[in-house]
Amino acid sequence: MGGIYWLASYPKSGNTWFRAVLSNCLLNSKEPININDLQTDAIASSRVWFDDVLGFDSADLTMREIECLRPDVYRWMKSEFPDRIGYHKIHDAYSLGENGRPLVDDLGTLGAVYILRNPLDVAPSLAHHSHVDLDTAINMMCDPNHCLSRSKNKLSNQLQQRLGSWSQHVESWVDATDLNVFVLRYEDMQYEPSKSFGEAFSFLDVSYVPDQLERAIAFSKFENLVDQEKANGFRERPAKASHFFRKGKVGEWRQVLSADQITRLISEHGNVMQRFGYLDDNGRPV
Amino acid sequence: MFDYYAYGLRFCSEFELPELSAVGHQADDVDVFVSLGEVTEDDLKGARQISPYIWVRENDFFLEVPGVAQFRVTSGSSILVSPSVNIDFDSVRLFLLGSCFGALLMQRGYLVLHGNAIEIGDRCIVCVGPSGVGKSTLSTAFMKRGYRILADDVVPIDGQGDVVPGIPRVKVWDDVVSKLSIKNEGLTLIRPGLSKYNLPLDLSYCDVTRRVSHLFILSGSNIDSVEVDYVHGIEKFSSLSNNTYRHRFVKGMNLEKVHLQQCGALAGKIKMAHVQRPKLGFQIDQLVDRLLLEVEEPC
Repeated sequence: MGGIYWLASYPKSGNTWFRAVLSNCLLNSKEPININDLQTDAIASSRVWFDDVLGFDSADLTMREIECLRPDVYRWMKSEFPDRIGYHKIHDAYSLGENGRPLVDDLGTLGAVYILRNPLDVAPSLAHHSHVDLDTAINMMCDPNHCLSRSKNKLSNQLQQRLGSWSQHVESWVDATDLNVFVLRYEDMQYEPSKSFGEAFSFLDVSYVPDQLERAIAFSKFENLVDQEKANGFRERPAKASHFFRKGKVGEWRQVLSADQITRLISEHGNVMQRFGYLDDNGRPV
Repeated sequence: MFDYYAYGLRFCSEFELPELSAVGHQADDVDVFVSLGEVTEDDLKGARQISPYIWVRENDFFLEVPGVAQFRVTSGSSILVSPSVNIDFDSVRLFLLGSCFGALLMQRGYLVLHGNAIEIGDRCIVCVGPSGVGKSTLSTAFMKRGYRILADDVVPIDGQGDVVPGIPRVKVWDDVVSKLSIKNEGLTLIRPGLSKYNLPLDLSYCDVTRRVSHLFILSGSNIDSVEVDYVHGIEKFSSLSNNTYRHRFVKGMNLEKVHLQQCGALAGKIKMAHVQRPKLGFQIDQLVDRLLLEVEEPC
């Protein structure tokens, strides 16, 4: 049975690491995969994908028209490749277009793995990635209108992606009705990799044996990804960021965020943080 | 009826196509008729759907742009246009002159690439690449240097390896207009709701065919300066195939065999290179200078 599994996340939540482990598992090679040749498929916001399937230029369409047409692109993949499973990264929040259609619907979608990370750790990573200061990154995470690749007067190589705030983004996917979602925490990927990746890959209909999974996890250790980027670069690195793979740690926020910044993030995102175990019953960071 | 000339073809249209070169008299031997009408369900019977909004039969190509128009391109000689209710004709023409003309030229036997063609001396270079890499910015920068443009967006190449001159305009985004200090008084938007303009080529339009000397495949990368890597052997063939305009149309209209022959023939005649330009801190003039150097033209 063909269709798309979405690998969904707010930016800087571990999506690339997940795709590296998945790629190494799928390839099942004796050598680590080159990070510039990951085996997963085009990002949902790829303009090239959109233009190829529809047959006319997204550059000649308004944002509204593009949002209305994106679901058709994803649905079409099952028609064109009925027996193929695609694994596509997506940063968009799960949302309904102006015409009431969900961005990704059950006609083309098999399900989604939603990867989330403590927003206290997302903030410093996002600041580095976007080449902004911490307060600006936190503002982005709290902005209900935050988008990626938004531009009205020039062309980005990706389509605009509506993110919303961090909380809105998380809830849009994990509470999506009519969508089969597996939720995975970055922190569990770190502390219980075999169990976390194993359960996620089973959800994604990936067949593997234990050795294959362990090798994939080992090949994708953060230090290895850093070394590869130093040696060969990483094509997904934004131009303004000095490097893509930075620290990959849990809890860096304790050294980096000020008390006010922590308070702000908890004030804005406390409900969702508590829901996913980032705050204790007293609302304090775990 | 309105008469025009583009891509070496005489067009006769039921509605105005101001982007094309007008013919001052009624054209004899019309090559392509553009008419208004309806595309019905019956018309699509027996056609194969190759995308959410494209259906094909032998020499018959149907495209729908939702909310804008339906189009039918037949045998490289007629285009039927069915505009959506209350749509403006700027929007209709935008997709007519893009995807529909692309299909038309394929039906007429051209190899069609997605890029631009710039006259250099008595030859031309063709620059291809993904949307957003800066092809139209490059066309405009060459124009400002005094070079002429044969085609932008849809680039047809005949069996001799010559580019056929297309539509005498470039579509440029607002930021290109600003960056290249182009006067935008009198420029029209390509369609309502988009900050993108029709920039007429006027004297910068090359209205004669030119043989292709170089094909440059543009991409953006995390590098400090422009890098050029020439392509050889079988990779030339695959690079051409990968940069064909709307490969889905070629496959859908059963033109793959012809397309392979066209790519093979052209690959043998031209120089081809991957050109990476910096994603950040990039000056378009650096790219123009480098390409001119590759073609051995004085900068």
